[in-house]
Amino acid sequence: MNLYSIAFKNIIRCRSRILFIVTALLIGTAIAVALYMIVDSMRLAIGDQIDEFGSNIVIVPRAEGMEIGYGGTELARTAIDLKQLSETDLEKISAIPDYRSINIVSPKIVASVAIKDRDVIMVGVEPQREFAMKPWFSLAEQEGLEAGANPGDLALLELPEKGLIAGADAARALNLQAGDALAINGSTFQVTGILNRLGSVEDGLLLGNLSAVQTLLNRPGEISMIEISAYCNECPVEELAAQLSGVLPNGRVTALRQAALLREETIDKFSLFSMLITGVILVIAGLMVLTTMMGSVHERTREIGIFRAIGFRGSHVMQVIMVEAGLAGLLGGAAGYIGGNLVARYFGSYLAGENIDFIWQTGLILPALGLAVAIALAAAVYPAYRAASLDPVEALRFI
Amino acid sequence: MAEMLISLEKLNKTYKSGGSDVAALRDVSLGISRGEAVAVMGPSGSGKSTLLSIIGGLNPPTEGKVIIDEIDLYNLNREKRADFRREYLGFVFQQFQLIPYLTAVENTMLPLTTTRYPSREKREMAMQALERVGLETKCNRLPNQLSGGEQERVAIARAIVNAPPLVLADEPTGNLDTRTAREIMELFRSLNASGLTVLMVTHNPENIKYMNRAITMEDGKLVDDAGNLRAVGGSCFDRSESAGGLR
Repeated sequence: MNLYSIAFKNIIRCRSRILFIVTALLIGTAIAVALYMIVDSMRLAIGDQIDEFGSNIVIVPRAEGMEIGYGGTELARTAIDLKQLSETDLEKISAIPDYRSINIVSPKIVASVAIKDRDVIMVGVEPQREFAMKPWFSLAEQEGLEAGANPGDLALLELPEKGLIAGADAARALNLQAGDALAINGSTFQVTGILNRLGSVEDGLLLGNLSAVQTLLNRPGEISMIEISAYCNECPVEELAAQLSGVLPNGRVTALRQAALLREETIDKFSLFSMLITGVILVIAGLMVLTTMMGSVHERTREIGIFRAIGFRGSHVMQVIMVEAGLAGLLGGAAGYIGGNLVARYFGSYLAGENIDFIWQTGLILPALGLAVAIALAAAVYPAYRAASLDPVEALRFI
Repeated sequence: MAEMLISLEKLNKTYKSGGSDVAALRDVSLGISRGEAVAVMGPSGSGKSTLLSIIGGLNPPTEGKVIIDEIDLYNLNREKRADFRREYLGFVFQQFQLIPYLTAVENTMLPLTTTRYPSREKREMAMQALERVGLETKCNRLPNQLSGGEQERVAIARAIVNAPPLVLADEPTGNLDTRTAREIMELFRSLNASGLTVLMVTHNPENIKYMNRAITMEDGKLVDDAGNLRAVGGSCFDRSESAGGLR
């Protein structure tokens, strides 16, 4: 017989009250666990989606001298100690330790060509990689399609070897339409499609197959820049850039922070929102525990008076109440952990609006138990203090 | 001469009631020797229970001193007084005041809960106490499975389990039928005969036959003290002689 057994026996006696406390803690902990799991999974999913949206690393030839740019990105510097990138460098990328974090590698060659007495920037790309990386590209016209017909997913477009995709401004300046033939440096290309206006540098470009443009420019195997889309959930973009610099001594690797910043900002907002909801629910659960424990102390006034009269110190009475709360917290935490996992597993995808596979998170068992016990104990401090402070004479109605 | 166990010096206790002061005890001075069995008589509101709660260390007096076994009780802080009660006092309440979810033996063990005795020893002590009150065979019953008299016996076992020198009882027979009340009073007498000091608040004049001293209170004052009429705590205690002496 000790203070723990008194607490334990009272829990068994007051099953319905303890069940109420456990239920309050179960709901609070389950929501905390479920929200944590859902937001964590959303962080990864949204992070991946943001990372897939455009490039977050750009590699250009290492050079000293005057800057040549494309789309705000420096491509090279004029002819002072210019190092070149080549297709063999693409294979080196796969050698970095965190290669699995890389989603798309899109090499390109960029050069100015003269067409109909105009200088136009021509870019050789691997079309499916380039269009997968830039899903905001869409076609206004496509060869063989009737006007207004949906061109479908551009990333699946098979661009013929001598096919071209023209930016909206380039098409207007050169008076091009889908299906037109275009002579460039004595070689004939065919306009496969016209891009919708993007309001960016791509509006003035002609996009062709990498190999065809390399041949046209007589620069076989040469690459002007490599754009990389990487998943930064597991590996920060700066870390990837450092690894790429290590394997590409000819290249200058630049990590683009915009995507990372957008990602962090979006995730921070999600985390803050979920923390607020979780906090409010946990406070409500704590208040429910507090009011129930206060009721319990009130109901047990006479019993507490007996304890005090036969020699229990105030701290002993507090200990009995706190042990009861702690045990209820353990039960509520365990049930909340299981409940939270089940909610995430069966309703997580619906709540997140994403198709996410939730796996059973064993790593959350201790935090869930700790959270529920901490709430129960914090909520029980005041009732326990009140119990310990009870005047035994009043409690026993001795007078 | 018997050794003094309790010494009360000019006890006063005043309560606030509806904005005015109500005196529950007025200049009560009293000495009780070790081994005495003292009945505190008096009408309702005379201050008997207040006196008992003050001697029990539960209710600080407004003025005066309570010295038990040479310890000035209210010089101790609240928590030290709790320790004192655990070691020096046993309480028997009018309505038994057992914990409903604990068995007879667990209720009896309660004062030992916060002591350092090993669990087995606590249980053995509780069983011995239950044996003294004749309830060892019903040790695993809950209070609601026991009769009123049996519950009172458990309450007495709880009061004596830690072998205190003093037991305070507040109307211990108030809720019992005449026959059971007599049995309980016999039990108190046998405990007193073994050396235990008993201070009992009672309304029932029958009960003073089992005591060797009776004091009477009225309006918070000690108005009559029959005194030490005979040797205390001895087995020579005679019921009829005692009753006559007190009257």
